[in-house]
Amino acid sequence: MTENARCLAAVDARAASEGLFVGQSLTDALALWPHARIVEAEPEEDLRALTRLADWCLRFSPSVAVDAPDGIFIDIEGCAHLWGGEAPMAQMLRQRLAAQDLPARLAITDTFAAAWALARFGTDDVTITVGDDAKRLAQLPIEALRLEQDVAANLRRLGLKTIGQILALPRASLRKRFGAGLLLQIARALGEEEAAHEFRNPPTPWIERAVFAEPLSAPDDLARVVADLSARLCARLDEFGQGARRFEAVFHRVDGEAVRRSVRTALPLREVKRLSALFAAKLESVDPGFGVEVVTLSAARTQALVRAQTDFDCANPQAAAADLAPLIDRLVNRFGADRVWRPSLQESHVPERAVKRIAPLAAPTGRRWSDDQPRPVRLFRKPQPIEALAVAPDDPPFIFHWHGRAHRVRNAEGPERIGAEWWRKPWADNAVDRVRDYYCVEDEAGARFWLFRTGLYGEERPVRWWLHGLFA
Amino acid sequence: MQLRFDPAGAMPLAEARKPLSASREAAPGSVSTHLVPMLRTKLAQIERAEMRDWGALPFGDARINRCFPAGGLPFGRLHDITGAGREQETPAVVTGFAAALAARAMRGGVLLWALQRDDFYAPGLQAFGVDPDRVILVRVDKDDQAFAVVEDAARTRGVSAVVGEVSSLDLTAGRRLQLVCERSGATAFMLRRRLYAAPRTRSKHDEISSAATRWRIASAPSESEEPGLGPARCSVRLERNRGGRTGGWIMEMRNAAEAACALRVVAELADHAPAAELKDAKPRWPGHRNHDGERAVSGRG
Repeated sequence: MTENARCLAAVDARAASEGLFVGQSLTDALALWPHARIVEAEPEEDLRALTRLADWCLRFSPSVAVDAPDGIFIDIEGCAHLWGGEAPMAQMLRQRLAAQDLPARLAITDTFAAAWALARFGTDDVTITVGDDAKRLAQLPIEALRLEQDVAANLRRLGLKTIGQILALPRASLRKRFGAGLLLQIARALGEEEAAHEFRNPPTPWIERAVFAEPLSAPDDLARVVADLSARLCARLDEFGQGARRFEAVFHRVDGEAVRRSVRTALPLREVKRLSALFAAKLESVDPGFGVEVVTLSAARTQALVRAQTDFDCANPQAAAADLAPLIDRLVNRFGADRVWRPSLQESHVPERAVKRIAPLAAPTGRRWSDDQPRPVRLFRKPQPIEALAVAPDDPPFIFHWHGRAHRVRNAEGPERIGAEWWRKPWADNAVDRVRDYYCVEDEAGARFWLFRTGLYGEERPVRWWLHGLFA
Repeated sequence: MQLRFDPAGAMPLAEARKPLSASREAAPGSVSTHLVPMLRTKLAQIERAEMRDWGALPFGDARINRCFPAGGLPFGRLHDITGAGREQETPAVVTGFAAALAARAMRGGVLLWALQRDDFYAPGLQAFGVDPDRVILVRVDKDDQAFAVVEDAARTRGVSAVVGEVSSLDLTAGRRLQLVCERSGATAFMLRRRLYAAPRTRSKHDEISSAATRWRIASAPSESEEPGLGPARCSVRLERNRGGRTGGWIMEMRNAAEAACALRVVAELADHAPAAELKDAKPRWPGHRNHDGERAVSGRG
């Protein structure tokens, strides 16, 4: 639906043969062919389906990009030999798509733009050109360059109908008349310029793949396959002196779904045993459905990894980190990266901002809490409201209630006034006030509390007391 | 003190075993007569080998040190630290005490702390000697996760002290952990923390502990001649001490930057009863008020 008129968003082959076209108003279309079956367009659902299809394509190459609304780019560089060449690979892809009732047109070319053009405007359903893109492109209509509509219309008005005609013209004059967009598209088609595509996975040479004639479904089998792939991948990483910090296993099911499981490590890794152990914990949740036919394992964030010395040496932080890394990895993969951290002290008097979380194996910060103001050992994430009574406005309370118990204050110190840092946003979600007066109080049993007061007596805002932490 | 003799228990252990095994075995001189004592000695050897000595942490006060055969809190063992009253829910004094011990058990390694609530505050714990650069925090949701993390960490080279917050110390998990610590040399502190949602009933395992020591910590009123707060105090009861004696003290917490040990003994609690007797006295806890007067006298001595 565009503006107020309902238009056709897509037509199938039959409808096209009846003279229907994209953009035609629905009334016109139904007048032309009353038997047409009309389905409401669902662009978001289409995109989701396309993304699922792109994930399915990961079995052909680790780098697949969704090209909305109706295309998928697969970077098959270095992958085609697994199928015995580009032609058998294209054949296989087409067969597998046809088996799922997905009509598709394929083009294997040197550049993404040329593939886009040939898949849509080429004469054959499968086009494979290597090295002669320009010649094949020359015969295509100018729309194959993926031009803006008004640019294409202008070119047509001048009688330029094919890409070949445009290529024959001097480029400087094209730029003057039609803008840089046209030149950019030409350059992309000819491979002079690379277009940026958002790949589902960053392209990586570190990928291993296992295909099964009989689909697997037993969890033990999956674990064994992952262990095998880990061994192959790690052997290659070892050969090149590399380690990786992120591994992803993709299980391609018979029904076309792809299940992904990934593992992150704190330090680069290429140990088969540790890698498969990290994956083992994640495989329980993999639902094999009717079976898994392809498993791929890829590594990302690779970096040089020298064989570390194994002697324990406290003074050497690198050696210590190497000892701790396996533990950190197990913890992070079990509980999540946000559950394992190291505190890093910040220069801020605001209690909530005085500590930041950093990665457990980050370099030592050397920062200490230098202030001689006392700080509690337990700090509540949100200050807890309490009822407290004080004799004078500026006094600490003499009694307060917390968790249903009364605490008589025997001794107190304070106030320490802490104001919000005005150059930042107000206090976080627990924005009680911009100024807090903190007191350290001790009750009759000797327990020590960190209380604060917001608001001032005699002002509009009522005075409220909060408990923020506990001292040892 | 008078030694009381129980007629049944008066017999030396070796003597007690002899007639039993002799009566049970039909033919004297059969294989099992030799085998059983041999296996027994072998088992004892294995146990001795497992119980490696990893050194000890002296408290800097003879009154505590003499309770331990090693002259201080043994490293490479499991220690159980419990609070009393409100401290069971939000352990603060317990945390300080555990941190002071754990910080000194680090000995160049890393301290791993498994939390069940997100309230660890590094600026405050620095005063107990916990170096924020050398502490790794893990947030877990359940006791069994905490045990798994502590056990995994205790096995790891480079981690020399582990603190785990659990609501109860499961006997089996505790025993496993104790064995792991004995083998690796890491010192584990299980900090009991009753979570808000947890039921109040005490687990039967609370009394039978597999830990090397069990401590019960409570806050104690501080004393200061000047206005304001004096150094914080706590009452410390060593309720169980494998191979050593139990005791009770009032301690003062100091800044670890100024003193080698963040804990200083101010006074000895007079009635440091053995654990069995203390159990009967438990409903009256916190009982430190009873000792106030006594502490005031000896504390300033």
